Parts: sequence; C-alpha cells; structure tokens
Amino acid sequence: MKQIIYYIFIFSMAISLTACHDLDEPATTELTPDVFPQDSLQFLAVSGTAYAALRGNYSLDYWFMQTLSTDEAILPARGGNWYDNQNYMLLHYHTWTKDHGWTNGCWSWLARVIGTTNQAISILGEAQPDTDSQKKSTQAELKMIRALSYFMLMDLYGNIPLDTVYGDFTQHPTVERAKVFDFIEAEVKAAIPYLSTTTGTATYGRMTQYTAYALLAKMYLNAGIYAGTDRNNDCIAMCDKIISSGKFALEPRSTYLKMFYPNNGPTMKEFIFAIPYDPAATAFSGTNGYMYHARYDVPRSLKAKFSLPFTPSAPESTLPEFYAYFEDDANDIRNAQWLKGLQYLNDGVTPVTVTTTNLGYDFKYSGSDPSASYTYQVEITPDILLRYDPANFDLGNDEIAWNMGYRNIKFYPDASSTSRNQNNDVPVFRYSDIILMKAEAILRGGTPTLGDQALTLVNQLRANRTTSGDLGSVDLQYIYEERCREFVAEAWHRNDMIRFGTYEQSWGFKTDADPNKRIFPIPTTARTLNTQLQQNPGYQ
Amino acid sequence: MILLFMLTGFSHAAVLAQDARQIKGKVTSNDGPLPGVSVLVKGTTTGTTTDSNGDYSLMVEASNASLVFTFVGYVSEEIPVEGRSTIDVLLVEDIATLSEVVVVGYGTQSKKNLASAITNVKPEEMNKGAITDVAQLLQGKIPGVNISASGDPNVKAAVIIRGASTLNSSQTPLYVIDGIIGADISIVAPDDIASIDILKDASATAIYGNRASNGVIMITTKRGKKGQTQVTYSSYVGVEKVSHRLKMMDANQLRSFLGESGLALSPADDLGANTDWQKTVEKKSAVSHNHNISFNGGTEHNTYSASVNYSYKDGILPKSSLSRVIARLAMDQYALNDKVKFGINLNYSTNNATNTPLRNNVLQQMIYRLPVSPVRDANGDYFENTTTGAYFNPMAMIDHAKDETKYTTFVGGFSTQVKLPFGLMYDINVSYQNENSLHGEAYDSYYSKTYGGVNFYNNPDPPAVHTLLNFGTNGTALRNTYQTTKKILETYITWDKDLGDHTINAVLGYSYQGSEVGDGFQVTSTNFAVDNIGYSNFVLSNPYAIPSYRINFGNDNTYYKTKLISDFFRVNYNYKDKYLLQGSVRRDGSSVFGANNQWGYFPSVGVAWRIIEEGFMTTQSIFTDLKLRGSYGVTGNSSGFNAYTAQFIMGSQGTFYYNGQQLAAYGPVQASNPNLRWEKTATTNIGVDFGLLDNKLSGSIELYNKNTTGMIASYAVNPALVSAGTIVANGGSINNKGIELSLNASPVKAGDFTWNTGINLAHNTNKITSLSNPLFNGGDSITYTRPEGQGQTGATLQIFKTGKPLGQFFTQHYAGQNEAGKSQYIDKNGNLTTQTGSDNYFYAGSPQPKLLMGWTNTFTYKNFTLNVFFRGVFGNKIFNATRADLFRPGTAQYTNVLAEVAGQQADARAYIYSSRFIESGSYVRLDNATLAYNFKLAGNYIKSLRLYTSVNNAFVITKYKGIDPEINQGGTALGVDSNNFYPKTRTFLLGINASF
Repeated sequence: MKQIIYYIFIFSMAISLTACHDLDEPATTELTPDVFPQDSLQFLAVSGTAYAALRGNYSLDYWFMQTLSTDEAILPARGGNWYDNQNYMLLHYHTWTKDHGWTNGCWSWLARVIGTTNQAISILGEAQPDTDSQKKSTQAELKMIRALSYFMLMDLYGNIPLDTVYGDFTQHPTVERAKVFDFIEAEVKAAIPYLSTTTGTATYGRMTQYTAYALLAKMYLNAGIYAGTDRNNDCIAMCDKIISSGKFALEPRSTYLKMFYPNNGPTMKEFIFAIPYDPAATAFSGTNGYMYHARYDVPRSLKAKFSLPFTPSAPESTLPEFYAYFEDDANDIRNAQWLKGLQYLNDGVTPVTVTTTNLGYDFKYSGSDPSASYTYQVEITPDILLRYDPANFDLGNDEIAWNMGYRNIKFYPDASSTSRNQNNDVPVFRYSDIILMKAEAILRGGTPTLGDQALTLVNQLRANRTTSGDLGSVDLQYIYEERCREFVAEAWHRNDMIRFGTYEQSWGFKTDADPNKRIFPIPTTARTLNTQLQQNPGYQ
Repeated sequence: MILLFMLTGFSHAAVLAQDARQIKGKVTSNDGPLPGVSVLVKGTTTGTTTDSNGDYSLMVEASNASLVFTFVGYVSEEIPVEGRSTIDVLLVEDIATLSEVVVVGYGTQSKKNLASAITNVKPEEMNKGAITDVAQLLQGKIPGVNISASGDPNVKAAVIIRGASTLNSSQTPLYVIDGIIGADISIVAPDDIASIDILKDASATAIYGNRASNGVIMITTKRGKKGQTQVTYSSYVGVEKVSHRLKMMDANQLRSFLGESGLALSPADDLGANTDWQKTVEKKSAVSHNHNISFNGGTEHNTYSASVNYSYKDGILPKSSLSRVIARLAMDQYALNDKVKFGINLNYSTNNATNTPLRNNVLQQMIYRLPVSPVRDANGDYFENTTTGAYFNPMAMIDHAKDETKYTTFVGGFSTQVKLPFGLMYDINVSYQNENSLHGEAYDSYYSKTYGGVNFYNNPDPPAVHTLLNFGTNGTALRNTYQTTKKILETYITWDKDLGDHTINAVLGYSYQGSEVGDGFQVTSTNFAVDNIGYSNFVLSNPYAIPSYRINFGNDNTYYKTKLISDFFRVNYNYKDKYLLQGSVRRDGSSVFGANNQWGYFPSVGVAWRIIEEGFMTTQSIFTDLKLRGSYGVTGNSSGFNAYTAQFIMGSQGTFYYNGQQLAAYGPVQASNPNLRWEKTATTNIGVDFGLLDNKLSGSIELYNKNTTGMIASYAVNPALVSAGTIVANGGSINNKGIELSLNASPVKAGDFTWNTGINLAHNTNKITSLSNPLFNGGDSITYTRPEGQGQTGATLQIFKTGKPLGQFFTQHYAGQNEAGKSQYIDKNGNLTTQTGSDNYFYAGSPQPKLLMGWTNTFTYKNFTLNVFFRGVFGNKIFNATRADLFRPGTAQYTNVLAEVAGQQADARAYIYSSRFIESGSYVRLDNATLAYNFKLAGNYIKSLRLYTSVNNAFVITKYKGIDPEINQGGTALGVDSNNFYPKTRTFLLGINASF
C-alpha cells in the first residue's frame, strides 16, 4: 500500500512538473486594441474605414436603385442574359419585393457603412485622447458620413431603425420617416461647427461644412415628402451658406463634360462632395467599390472606339421618354453625353462595323441563307422593344437588340483600367444642384434671397450649358426638365420624380401607379437580423 | 545505452547455448502448410517463425518448456515439449475473431469487452485500387460513414460519420495515427496500415474531448514482431479510362438542331470541325503505379519496421497528378529487463501535386464549347473566338498555364512506456509534426493577350459568386509557401488489475498541444520577360511598369498560434466478462475560445451486458455470442475556424482618398465574442452484437441519436451593429438519428470453396433543429449556393432552414411545359407562370441519402480469391445545375447543348434552375472486383507471393443524368453538380504482394 502511495506520488510529481494549464496565446501578428490605434496617422486610418465603406456600393447598388426605378434607364434581358433573377425587371415594373436583390444589397451596404461608422466613433472615442485637437473634427466627420448614410436609407426605405451606439446589440425598432428626418437634421447641425471650411485637395472626398449644408438643403427641399412639412426657406438658407461662401462656381459649358471624365478630381469647381473612385483603390470588405458605368452602358461594338481594355456588356440604356428632355435645344452641351445613331470611330469618319450572320443580326430573319455573313454599321436606336420574350423582359440576343436604347456616357469610359473599374469620381452634391434647388424652393413658395430669383438662377446655369440664351420665364416643370438634363446618371432622378409627382406615371413597360412604391420594402434579410422592424405599407 | 542492451543480449544467448536442445516441426492448417507462424518458448522471448513450408526449428532451454504457436486469424496453441524433439501442429482458424483487439484512445481494448461502438477494419477488408487517400480505402466498408470521393487525385474524399453535425466547414473526423493525435493522413501509405479503427459513439470518442465530434479514426501502422524478419514488396500498375461522358451534340446534330430552330452558327465559330471536346481534353488513359518495400523484424529486445513507398496517381485530365514518396521508420527498444519500452516513429512524406490549371473553368469549357470549332486553326494556333462571352479554348488554357503544389509532412514521435509494479504502466509520448507547402501558379502572356480584356470569371467550387480573374500584362504568376508545426506532449498512467471476477482498467493523463499555423507568405507578379519562366523566377518580372497592378499578399489572419491542453481519465470495469462498465471524462482547454469559455468537460459512460455469458444461455445453441451495449457521452468540435476568432481584430479595410493619395484604412474585421465555446455533441448509442450458428452469421445493430448544440457558425449580424456583418458564435443545433446494421456470414464452406459475405446498411436522418443565437438571429432562412449560370446571377439552390436537413434544396417549382412548349413554374399563389424569381422558391428535396450500403463478397477456391464489392447510395437528390446550364436551346449557336435538347426549341428558358433539374442520386456501383492468386511456393527464398488483378467502378446503375452520381457529400453545398465535375474513371489494375 505504501508503495502504491509512493508511485501515485511519483506520478503526480511527473504530472505537475510537465502539466502546464496556461492557455494564454495572445495575437501578436494582428491589429489588436493593445497596439492599435495609437497615433494621429493611425486615427486617420481608422476613420478612413468609414470613407472606404461609403465608396462601397454607391455607384452600383445605389445607382441602380435610384435610376432603374425611373424613366431614366432600363436594363432588359438579352436572350436570357441579364435576366438575373428579375433583379432589373422588377425595378422597371415597380414590382420589387422584399427579396429583391438590389433592395437587399443596398440596405446591407448602408447598414454596413453605419455600423462601420459607429464602430470607428467608438474606437476613436476610446483611443483618441481628448487633448487631441483632431478628435472633435474626426468625430464630426464620422457622424456626417453616418448622417448621409441614414439620409440614403431614409430616401429609399422611409421608415428605418436608428442604430447609433456601437456595443448596443439590442434590436432597435422602426422609426418613422419624419423622426428619422429630425434625427439626421440634428446630427448634421451638431456636426457643422467642427467640420472644415477648407476646400480643394486637402478635404476633397471628405465631409466639410458645405457637405453638411448641401445635405440639409436636399432634406429641406424634400421635407414635404420626408416629414410632411415644406421647409423651402430653410432650403434656401442652406443654399445661401454655400453660395455666399464663394468657394464654388459653375463649370462653364466648355468644361461641363470634363467634370465627369476619368481624370476629374479636386479641381472641379462644382464638386461640393464627391466620392473619389480609383481602379487602384482597394474595396472595403463586403462592399464592391465598383464604378462600372461603361461596363453597363457602352455597346460591345464600341470597345475599340473607346480603347477599352475589356469588353463592355452594354445592357443598360435610357428610354425615349427620358431622352425627349434633351431634344429641344441643339446647343446644349449636355446632349453630348449620349451615344446614339450611326457610330463612327473617334476620327468621326470611320464607321464602326460588325460582322455577323443574317440571323445573328436579326433573330427573326427568315430569308435565304441565315448563316451567311452580314456586315453592318452600328446604329444605336432609340426604342426598346421586348420582341423576344415580353413576359421575361427580353429584347433578344441579336445585334438589333444589343443596339437598342440610347446610352449615357457622362462618366466617360476609362481606357486605362484593365479591371472595368473606372477612375471617374462621382459627385454626390454639385454646385449646380444648389442653384437649381434654390430656384425650385423659391418657385415652391420660398422667399428669394441675395437678390436671386428662380429665373436668374436658372439663367445663370443655362449660361454655362447652352448658347441659346436666357429664358424669359421659368416654372416648376422647367426646373424638372432642367434637372433631368443636368443630373442624369447622378442617382438623383428618383428623388426628383417623387418630389415632382411623376413617379406614378407610366413609362417603358411600367404601368404601376401605386404610391406605396415611393419607398422600397424593408428587405427580408434586414427583418431576419432585426425582428423589431415593421414592413412598409403596401408590402407583405 | 543500446550497446549495453546488445551486450546483455549476447551474454543471455551464451547462457542458452549451454544445455539447449533443438526442436523441429511443421505447422499446418486445413489448407496445408502455414508459413509465417510465430513459435515462441513460453515465458521467454526465444522464438522463430515457420518458413514457406510451415517448418520451424528452434533451441529450447529446458525440457519442461511449452511452445506457443500464434498466427493472425488462427486459434493459438500452447504445447508442452515433454521431451519431444519434433512437434507438428495443426492450427485451427479462429472464426469467432472475438479475441481481436481494437485501438482506443490511450490504449487498446479487447473487442469482445467493448462497451462502445467501434468498427475495426483490417487491410484485407479495405478497398483495392489505385488509392492514395486513406479515406477512400474505407469507402462503403463501415456502416454510417458516408464517403464521397472525387476523381481528382489532389482532392481528398469527403468523410461524414453519422451525418453532418456542423455547418462549420470542418466536418472531417479526427485522425489519430499511431497515437499521434491530429496527424496528417498524407504520411500514411496504404500498404503500411495494420488496421483502422473507427470510433463512432461518444463513449469511444469522448476521451478526445473537444476535437471528437466528427468521429475519430485511429490508424495503426505495421510494427515489427520479435523473432520474425520479413521483407515485403507490394506494387501495382493501374490504368484508368473515363467511364462516362455527357452526351453533348456533335457537329451534325448541332447543325440540324440549329436549322430546325432558325438559329445560325457564326462564321467566326464554324470552321467545319467536329470536335468532341470532352474526349479532346480528357486523356485517353491515365496510368498510376505504386511501389512499397518494407522491412519488419525484431530481436529479443527490440522490434523495427521500416518502409519506403512511392506512388504516382495520374489524373484523367491533363497536368493533373500526384506523386508521393513516404519513408517511415518505427522502432521499439526494450530496456531495464524489458520494464521500459522506448519507441521512435519517424514519418516523412513528400508530395508533388500538379493540377489542371483553372480546373473548374476547363471542366466548364470542355462541355460548353461548340463542336464545329477546331482545337487549332489553320496556322496551328489555338482557335479562340472571345467575342462570345465566357468562351475559351480549354486546350489553350491548359497549355499556357501551370499550377503545382509541393508539400511535405514530417511526423516524429518518441514514446516511453514504463511497467510499474501493481499493474501500473506509465506512458509519456512526445511528437512533432511539420507541414510545409509550396504552391505556384503561372498564366503566361497568352492569357494576358487572349483573355485579358474579355471578362474571364472563375468557376468556384462550391458554387459561389464568380469573380473576375486578372491575368495582368505579359503573364502573371503567384507563389506562396506556408508552414505549420504542432508539438504534442501526452503523458498518462494506466492501471490494469485482475481481482478474480473483477477486472479494472483505468487511465489518467494529461495532453498538451501547441500549434503554429500558416507561417509563410504569398506574392504575385506580372509582366514577365518571357513565357517559360512560370512562377520560378519573379526577378524577371516587372510589375512596376503596370500602374494598376497590385501584388496580392494573400489573406490577413493566415498566421496564428493555438494551444490545446487537456486532462483525461477513463475507467473500465469488467465483472466476469459479463457486465462491462466504462466511464471517461476529459477536461479540455483551448486558446481559440472566448475568454469566458476556454475550459470544458466532456464526460461519457458506457455499459455492456454479454448475455451469452449468462447461465440461461448455456442451454441454447443458436447464439454463439450476444451482447447488448448502451452509451452516452458528450464531445466537442473546435476546429475549422481561425484561432483568434473570439477576439476583436482590426485589419486592412480597403483604401480611402486623403489629400491626393489612397491611404490604407484599418478597422474592425472581426468582432469579439468572449462567450465563444466549442460545439457540443451529445450522442446516445444502443448496440447489439451477435454471433449465430457457430458464428456462421455475426453482426451488429447500432441505434444512435446525436444532438449537436451551440453549433459554431458565422452568423449574419445586422451590419449596423457589427460592421463585419458576421460574427462567429454558438447558436443553432442539428440532430442526426440513425440505425446501422452490419452482417457477416459464411454461407458456403464446401471442400476447397468458401464464400464469405458481409453487408452493411446505414440510415441517417439529419435535421437542423435551430439556427438562432441568443444575441443574433441571422442564421435561419439563408439561401446559398449560387452557380451563376449565364443570366442566372442571384439564383440560389439551397437554404439553411430550421426543421430541414443540411443542404435542403430550395428553388423554382417546375410544372412541365405549357402548350407552347415553354417551361412553366408554380408561383407562390399556386398559379402557373413562365416567369421566374426567388419569390416562388419551394422546398425541393434533400441531398442526403436515406440509405447507404456496402456489400462485400469473398470467394475462395484453392489458391484463388475473388473479392466483389458493391456499394450503394439511395434516396438522395442531386441538383444537376450542369444539366440546367447545358439546356439552352435558344443560344445553341454560341455554346453547345446536350443531345437531349433536340426537339426542345420552344423552351428557350429551360435552363432556369428549378426542380426540373433535381434528380435522384441513387446508385449501385460494382465498386471493385479483385481476383487474386496465392502461390504455394517451395524453397526458402520467397515466403509468400500473391498476384492480383482488379477493376474499379466496373459499372454503375443509376437514373442520374450527369456524368456520375457520386457528387460531393461534404460541406454545406453538398449534392450540387455544377459545371465542375472531375470525370469519373474505370480502373484496371495489376498488382503483386511478395514477402521474403
């Protein structure tokens, strides 16, 4: 027995000598809160996540939602290509559902920008010492990014939850649109004193006081829609802050188009806030960072014309109803942003030709020798015809179908990028928008200020867009049409249509007139993740 | 030290010689002389083995000694010498095989006294064929183990034991090789395996705690035996041919189809060829071979076993192969009057895997491509027409790229076992494992020029969102190398006590494992001076000239360290071999879990009642064995996610514009979860083992209920709360219930002819019982698996749904064609529609089989042995997305279609993923037939010689319309055939086993 005890003792000794029970294995090769962020460059890198996230899906998901739901653009199927689970068709017909791809994608992107901003606010709130002179302005910038994201969510979905504090994982209920409006307004106003008034390269692509004023102007102009109260004078006051700063000006007619070229940037006088896109930039994870306009708008046959290093897909075009706004004034420089009619290479004389077969040109071809070679000059035609499969939104997969619809090339194709991603920065707020918003607010009953009348403001813009001279009078309808010409492809048309009451009209193949469609449904994924969310009226 | 033992050994031999006498004899069985029988003088280590004629001779010290004759599969005989000088022995076959020993965690147990569900597989029962993957040796052999193998020599078979118990990516069982936990199975050559034990229920696996939820597979390699020296050579050559292809249209069929459809080929495609692209890409035959030489033996105080294996497994696609060399040395050395045993185990495996470049794209293109296009044009250049989107010449893709991985694994173990008084035994084992991989990919300037500007997407497996590939300028290349090391220390004390009717065995131990994973780097470059450099000399590239090019350094979070620390205890109590009780507990700690939950307890208990030993059984003569078992236990799963998953980590989050530059943004990439803990799987198992009619019929029935809770998954989280959008957390639960039956019988034994047969059947019901987390409820109703066929972006095939099995299909409800011949579907309101969209998805079947079957037959006639093995899978569905995407009558002038599309002109949108393409995946395969001849050899040179020939996948009976119904059953995207099925082959093999 003694010996048993002896051996157990020996064994226990052996165990206790070797037996370590320390599981500590710190991460030494990662950015943990112990080592990051600690200095001003690192603080900047943390706040940069919010900007990277914001760039995320603005020019793709958000652009599709704001544009394909209007008469400005349509993206029909071509022989089954681009049908894509009805993603584009539902936007055109206003028959989207809570499971619609872009409705989901856009919500989760904006929620991600908000979450990223909340988390950056929290990290910097703890890491950045109060003595840091930058702390207040960094926090104000982050809150502006969040406010802009909430604005986009409110504009698209109306009634949304407000998640504002990182670490609070409770499910927040739906807040009605008017209350969301109040929240954003208060946030922006609180941020203004700490935001920069510097413009140019140093603050390009970042939130400044002028971004805040522009956002407020946009909100006040739409306050009737968002909150049920017109606030035209508030809108004018915000526009005036920007106008009287003297830091912005309208681009002249000669440089209007260049404002959207791949090499645009901080020198653009009209850009109050733009999102800088760069093919060399890396996307925020979970977002795409795509600026893909040429991919969607340039016909395949024009690859050589624009020296594109990739083959564009070209399914997207405008509708004749929308193009009609451009037909009245031949002197308007903005007409030049469309691809239409017979196509020539950039020398202006060499026709762009395509060699195909009789059937490849026209799938309805019934003459002799359908597979005989057929060469034609590319001509982009105005009308969109569902000649292949109307039920499935399909034009057909022949040359005729691929040439249907005028194409917008405002964000001029970038010949330097191999990845389809373009270098064109995308403006969110431009000075011409301030001018037109002020004019519209005056026409809607606001009080003129600074000696500006709606007519003088509109003529001020016209002087920089056309050589046809001043107008004698202006009405809201004219403002609407001028906005169509000025802001096409800039993701504002849905907002304008709703404000001007044209969103329930029929265009293309869409006849739906349900006013509930002015906001999108709360997506299924969002309601799965937050069971407190109420569905918007008219949606199941 | 070794010298000392040699000296004592010599002096011992000298003593022997003094009054020794020689004994000779012959050992026979009913079939004739038995070579290789171990003959040992009882109570000593003096012994020899019989030669090829069954003869032996040895020196015996004392005339009152006894000789012990042992041979695997025969009943041992103990015969007193009684002064004789010639002793002939007849050994009888041990049919009962109940005396077998199985390997369990930290020890062995006799099979008859097991209280848990363990299946033991001997080498002769394993699958034959050109097999390099250990899992494939077991396919169909064990009830309840679902193994699906790929034809790709570099893709491991998916192994699911008793149904998937996790959504987490890691479903693979834990491999324990010669006691080394978690060792890589690439170090084991199939020829070196002595036995494999599959631990299925929790009373067997719980001793491995939080790593055991997916089951444990114990592999024991061959060891030397004292007094037996043997040299064994085994080899085979196998020839594989493609067993089945998709029936695509040939040029004539396509032309007449297009004519009827009013469609026309583009002159740019139609060069008047008639190319069978599947045949063109696939090799006519693939030749694999394997050579294994081993030396086994032992002297009085040591044993050794060494082997070298070379195997070359050729893939049926070009540039697809695996060549491997494994060297192994195992030595045991006894010391201190044999009270101490030292063991050294060294295993080294070096592998050279070459892959078909962009394999999944090649597999897709070889069925899409038009037969009217040639491989090469009139100039001898590869023919391409990239104006058709996503349309590339697979032969050019293969020719202008390479993709290779070299990986080596070293496993070294040193063990010490000390026999202590009072039945105590002390073991201490240390082991070291080092895995290195060196991977390279190169795509030459042909890719940059031809595919650079034409939107070349990848084709991921499992199907997911396709991403655009960038082939740079003048070629692009990638290289990465990573190293993983594991250090393990295990020490335990075993107490074995026989107290008359009571037998007690107890084990108490400690285990430590430290791992360092992913130590290495990746780099890419572009703009190479010439094409033939590949990835071998990055110096000759100039990426700086391409402003938009970004070097890819791989993924963040690749490098990490983990620690696993455990204490364990097990006790077995046996009363008169009648009542058996086993209990175990493991306390496991792991650094990968949240700070609040690093430690956990994994208990188990098992009981067994050997009814056959009861008095009332003596009066009956039907049963020769009858045992009832029951067990319950809890295991965990802690693998399959990064070590720092529970911690708050920031990382690279893209770039942002600041003052004229793009600066790197760093922010949260992962949320902290201090409560993260292991998945818990509680298993109840009831089993019956029986032997009937003199053990002519024996078998087992197992019933189990396996409940996994706190499933680790990456839960979608409201990104407004946690910006990463996901958090790895414990949440859902999953249940597997099943029944397994295995039967072995010897129905015929007449003269020289015997027929042994065994069948195993397993049924499992898998159900996700919850997908929510107390904090985050984003796990349920997630749709996934996106094959992204043309025009089908956004369409998904499967859904995670509470109450449904893992892999539940969820798609459009196909309702035949309408009068116009167009596909129609049932919408959510029950109406017929030709429109499609995810609104109308419905639950459309499960990819999990209802029944798995393995049926093995061994016929022996004289020296001939014929093995015939059938394997069946029943009741599962396959989503044949490949067939859907080849069902495009409307665009047959651009990409080829299946021959069955003929006459379907009107149904232009037939390809929409729907229940139309969900097919029965049931099949029966004649998996293997092997005919072997054992030579009876005279002379002393060759102890045994066996020649065999074998055919694998002789035929398959199925209604499945794809290439083969053996679709991957692992992961979450199981049962989906999506444009990337590596061709299945039929193998003819000729092999030899010889020992000297």
